[in-house]
Amino acid sequence: MAEERRFLSASGVPIALRRRQHSASCRELAVRGPRLQLRSLSAATSAVWLAAYGLFALCENSMVLSAAIFITLIGLIIYLHFMKIDQESLLVIGSLGIQVTSAYASGKESTTFIEMGQVKDVVINEAIHMQKVIYYLCILLQDPEDPEGVSEVVPLFQSSKPRLDCLIEVYKSCQEILEQRKTAPQSS
Amino acid sequence: ENSPAPLPERAIYGFALFLGSWFGFILYLIWAYVPETWLFSLGLTYWPQKYWAVALPVYLLVSVGIGYILLFGINMMSTAPLNSTHTITDNFAKKQQQKKFQEEAIPALRDIPISEVNRMFFLPEK
Repeated sequence: MAEERRFLSASGVPIALRRRQHSASCRELAVRGPRLQLRSLSAATSAVWLAAYGLFALCENSMVLSAAIFITLIGLIIYLHFMKIDQESLLVIGSLGIQVTSAYASGKESTTFIEMGQVKDVVINEAIHMQKVIYYLCILLQDPEDPEGVSEVVPLFQSSKPRLDCLIEVYKSCQEILEQRKTAPQSS
Repeated sequence: ENSPAPLPERAIYGFALFLGSWFGFILYLIWAYVPETWLFSLGLTYWPQKYWAVALPVYLLVSVGIGYILLFGINMMSTAPLNSTHTITDNFAKKQQQKKFQEEAIPALRDIPISEVNRMFFLPEK
């Protein structure tokens, strides 16, 4: 069963959270950001081309215009493939682990899998980020030597940056599955 | 003991500084504005070049302006990144000792782990 709810990101952009329950111990939470808008794309392209035309009017060299077209195309491809993340999803499988996927606008997907034995907890942390204090969800990895220690912090939903109300939903869903670890301790 | 109240010695220091700063300012104005030939005729031939009367204040103001940006940048660089464990704990919290729980006494101050804090805030009490 899937349900989708609308929220706001930390910068005010509308995002959508989709929750799917695959089974009692497996849940998938996906945060989808807005698609690339036509008006921002045309604004950026017109700005670059106007600047190039101004330069051409100054120096009378027509290579400036072809360079501007080239730069716009290459820049758009690089932006869509490396920088524009459309959807970030979290797949929590109770006895197996947590999988974090980022899907880019060009179709590329980048995945990270963390085994459940390494996961200490999933918490909402607040930290200073670029002159703001933001809430963000993160996975705490267990320190092998120290049972109370944290060896590493893996921040989640870095590009969509949901606000606290969305993070609380995701947190509750994850905790319901992580609690099953304590109540049913199987070997390994 | 140490108190910020006015004292006779402090009044004297203040007046001496007041006179000294006025003297320094008048000296700076004389150095900057009086023509070189007049200073030579008075016998003052080894004073620094008048170039510095303009250069030093400009150096000072530019470094104040750069200092604003530099401090801002240093602050941003020293902020722990989002994936660092310094946002969660530090050396003092790791080495803290657990005091024993006593009945009817206020519990000892301690650093509560973030998992416990999250459960308290975000999971509804059943």
